[in-house]
Amino acid sequence: MKITGLIVTILVGGLLIYAAADFPAWSDPNSPASTYLSPHFIEKTMEETSVPNIVTAVLADYRSFDTMFETTVIFSAGVAVFILLRTFRRKEPEARHYRHVLTGVTMRIKEGKLPPSDDFERIDTLWTPPDLIIKTVCRLLIPFIQIFGLYVIAHGHHSPGGGFQGGVILGASIIVLAISHNLRTVVKRMSEKLDAVLCAVGVLIYAGTGALCLLLGLNFMDYSALASVLFVDPIMARSHGILIVEIGVGIAVMCTMVWIYSNVSSRGRYEQGL
Amino acid sequence: MDIIVCLFLFAGLFFFTGGAVGILRFPDFYSRLHPAGKLDTLGLLLSLIGLALFNLHHFSLGALLTSAKIILIVVFVFLASPTATHAIVDAGVRAGLAPWTKGEERR
Repeated sequence: MKITGLIVTILVGGLLIYAAADFPAWSDPNSPASTYLSPHFIEKTMEETSVPNIVTAVLADYRSFDTMFETTVIFSAGVAVFILLRTFRRKEPEARHYRHVLTGVTMRIKEGKLPPSDDFERIDTLWTPPDLIIKTVCRLLIPFIQIFGLYVIAHGHHSPGGGFQGGVILGASIIVLAISHNLRTVVKRMSEKLDAVLCAVGVLIYAGTGALCLLLGLNFMDYSALASVLFVDPIMARSHGILIVEIGVGIAVMCTMVWIYSNVSSRGRYEQGL
Repeated sequence: MDIIVCLFLFAGLFFFTGGAVGILRFPDFYSRLHPAGKLDTLGLLLSLIGLALFNLHHFSLGALLTSAKIILIVVFVFLASPTATHAIVDAGVRAGLAPWTKGEERR
């Protein structure tokens, strides 16, 4: 079996190396990529889309179809983790544990449950008090991390950044909250349902922007059609269209990160977490 | 100006070297985290201050903004790095790893 694997690896690897030999040399000025497409992007991006960052323009405008399905891949990753890991226990555990927030007194209720209130938080048997230093520093840093995430999303037109990177930063800020406190704290602020819905909404914003262009009479994802909706000229409309889809990507990526983390860290039970 | 920048950079490199030697030489998990948390933070702090000063060589508003961003990195690393070390040590204590005592073998 091992020998078969080795033979297959050598065959496929050899084929790849053989095929790679036919590539044009690195930075060959006469290769098809740098004679036709790259000069167009480098010279025309600014006048066609008024976006200084060529990478963002290529990613979200010239190749927006590709990016739309990348967003869908991330969404399906979140859904796949949810389907594989989430367990809905039919039988609730008999005893529930509650902790009085102010005094730290814990109690165990054999049957039934307390009405939801701010004085008591529900805890699990494995609960350990969150460390004060870590808790304080995380509370101090999380707002800055989130502002930086928003900046990365909004500033993708001018500097490295965009929806994917900013979304990951925003998602990480919420994961930091989950690590420094516990998963219940996060779920209280951002429920599982909200996560799932926002994931889909992010993808929908992206696809919906494309479909809106179709409705307004131009090609799918041709943002210059948005000019009549946004009250700007067609070139500015392409720039604004990129921002709209980047926001959609950011929402989808952020919620998928949180969704995957909460399923993986609590083995799909949404209890204590790590 | 260049002399001050060089002093900052070399001081930073000195602490980085000390940190690297400490991570290799100290006997166990907790003592190895000590240079990793402290010396790397100080080394990064000094070298980034050196870079921020060097960036102000040709003084302009843009250069000042870049230097301010570098100083912001220093502030956040100064907060986050010791906290991360503390969290790792805390996890080690909670997992029940006993600290090294004198006379024991290196771990």
